[in-house]
Amino acid sequence: MKEVVPLGITNSRPFHLLLLLLWALPAAHAHAQPLPEGPVRAFDGRVTVGADIAATVGNGDDVAFFNYTDYEHNVLKLMRLSVSGVYRPAAWLALVGELRSEDLEHPIPYAAYVRVRPWQRHAFDIQAGRIPPTFGAFARFSYTAGNPVIGYPLAYQYLTSLRTDAVPATADDLLRMRARGWRSTFPVGSPTPGPGVPLISAFEWDTGVQATWKTGPFEFSSALTNGSLSSPRVADDNGGKQIVARAVVTPAVGLIIGASAARGAWLARGIEGADPPAQRALGADVEYSRDHWIARAEVVWSRWGLPSPLAPSGAAAVSAAGAWVEGRYRVTPRVFLAGRADHLGFSEVRGTLVQTAGAPWDAPVKRLEGCVGYYLQRNFVLRGSVQGNWREAGRDRQRTYFAGQLAYWF
Amino acid sequence: MLTRLFLVIAALGAVMPSSVAPGPAATGTIRGRVDLRGGTQEAAAHVAVTDVAMTASHAPTDRRSVVYLDPAPRAAFDAREETRPRLDQRNETFVPHVLAIVAGTSVDFPNNDRTYHNVFSLSKTRTFDLGRYAAGRSKAVKFDKPGIVRVFCDIHSHMSAFILVFAHRYFSVADEDGVYRLENVPPGSYNVFAWNESAPLESRRVVVPESGGDVEVNFSLGRR
Repeated sequence: MKEVVPLGITNSRPFHLLLLLLWALPAAHAHAQPLPEGPVRAFDGRVTVGADIAATVGNGDDVAFFNYTDYEHNVLKLMRLSVSGVYRPAAWLALVGELRSEDLEHPIPYAAYVRVRPWQRHAFDIQAGRIPPTFGAFARFSYTAGNPVIGYPLAYQYLTSLRTDAVPATADDLLRMRARGWRSTFPVGSPTPGPGVPLISAFEWDTGVQATWKTGPFEFSSALTNGSLSSPRVADDNGGKQIVARAVVTPAVGLIIGASAARGAWLARGIEGADPPAQRALGADVEYSRDHWIARAEVVWSRWGLPSPLAPSGAAAVSAAGAWVEGRYRVTPRVFLAGRADHLGFSEVRGTLVQTAGAPWDAPVKRLEGCVGYYLQRNFVLRGSVQGNWREAGRDRQRTYFAGQLAYWF
Repeated sequence: MLTRLFLVIAALGAVMPSSVAPGPAATGTIRGRVDLRGGTQEAAAHVAVTDVAMTASHAPTDRRSVVYLDPAPRAAFDAREETRPRLDQRNETFVPHVLAIVAGTSVDFPNNDRTYHNVFSLSKTRTFDLGRYAAGRSKAVKFDKPGIVRVFCDIHSHMSAFILVFAHRYFSVADEDGVYRLENVPPGSYNVFAWNESAPLESRRVVVPESGGDVEVNFSLGRR
């Protein structure tokens, strides 16, 4: 049976900010003073500073946690502020950084890296520090300008029950946590309940070194980082490194095809065992655009190794796959329609006391989201969306959310 | 604010009777130079921290000023030359960066790049979206109303251009040195306006004598 979460949004910070913005809009319009359309430049253009603001209000959800990125933050009820800057003292050198705050909390450095182009005649760049993601296509887009809807793809946001600091000893331990990724517990490792990890985290960046080479229609990137796709890190917590590679080709104007692969130690020190297990991931993506259309599809497969096989199945690893298609159609210069269809599935394990016939180790999820947007100006957009979620297990198996968002960037 | 001011001025220019007496009297030339104090300010793309490579600078080099009369001579509304100006998309830049046209003109937007572009404008004067189209193709937009149209590319945030649409033909886009010429101006009293995207609008009162001849008007525009 369909269930709609009651609207309980009036006590949130995003709601108050949205009210403030909506109140300010007519005033700004009356005085015909558009908001700035470009970043601030200083020191003869060597310093460029921009910002992104996204205030999202939606249904409260402290039961199903479909859109949570950790135990505290819900994507559909979030106030996000970020300030980014580039200092380019020379043509071959740039220092790039971004500070971000969610729900007006203490800002954290989301990005902080140095970019070097050693040979001016070759499009070969090296980046070091807290660097942009190498894997996949979605994480390369700016959320405010590039995400067609309000929600995130499940593979980049949905919390599986796996944790980096606690692991299941048996298949039953894992199966009992199905659909509880927002706060799972396992007998080995940290005894404190905590959020699980997504296939790829879109909310933190990894730290390491990245190299990119562009030639003709091809682009190749590779990176060596401290964390893993599921758990990007500033400081290494397990002594293992992650290797990521990505190749992109543009065979025709408007068509972009990409493939990615990654392998990295993912468990925290102390529970990884003698042979630290790895998270392995493969990804493929395609984008095609024409006229007023943009269509994208992406598939991500991830396999997490476990320190010891899960009795009784003997599975030494579990895997998950996320796949989605999304599109945007600009109906008029100001109005667009967008949508995403998304699925997240999990490999099967067989338990002793629960799910003895075998079941996916976490509950598969389907998500459909439709969105309508209105450009107040080219970098200021109002969005409204409806998102349906279906999960095969858990206390709440179906939820529909409504969300509104004001996003501005310069 | 500037757009609204421009619209009011342009509309007034279109409907107000000119202070110029009709007749085949000698015409004059208003000429001069527009300097921008502090130079022009380059536009910058949105700071994209997700980039994995150094981005090339695509700053336009022709951020020129436009000088125009207001009110315009009555004769300005009589005969119109049919022109078909172009706003090219080249090397991820609109060329020219500033285009001035008479209302009713169609502008071609050819894509001469190796990548897609998506030309659009949300300006009140003319709202349009040409969608994505590849190299070698061109689309056109007709501009019927006077005013300022800001043009962007939906794919490349650093691309922008200005189209100034006038109700009359007494306007001039200054050259790269800031030099402009308004020719065949009938004798009379006018306000000469100088516009630049980086500076507040400025005007001077000038009189073109009955005998015609050159009238020099120079501007020094301050930065916004």
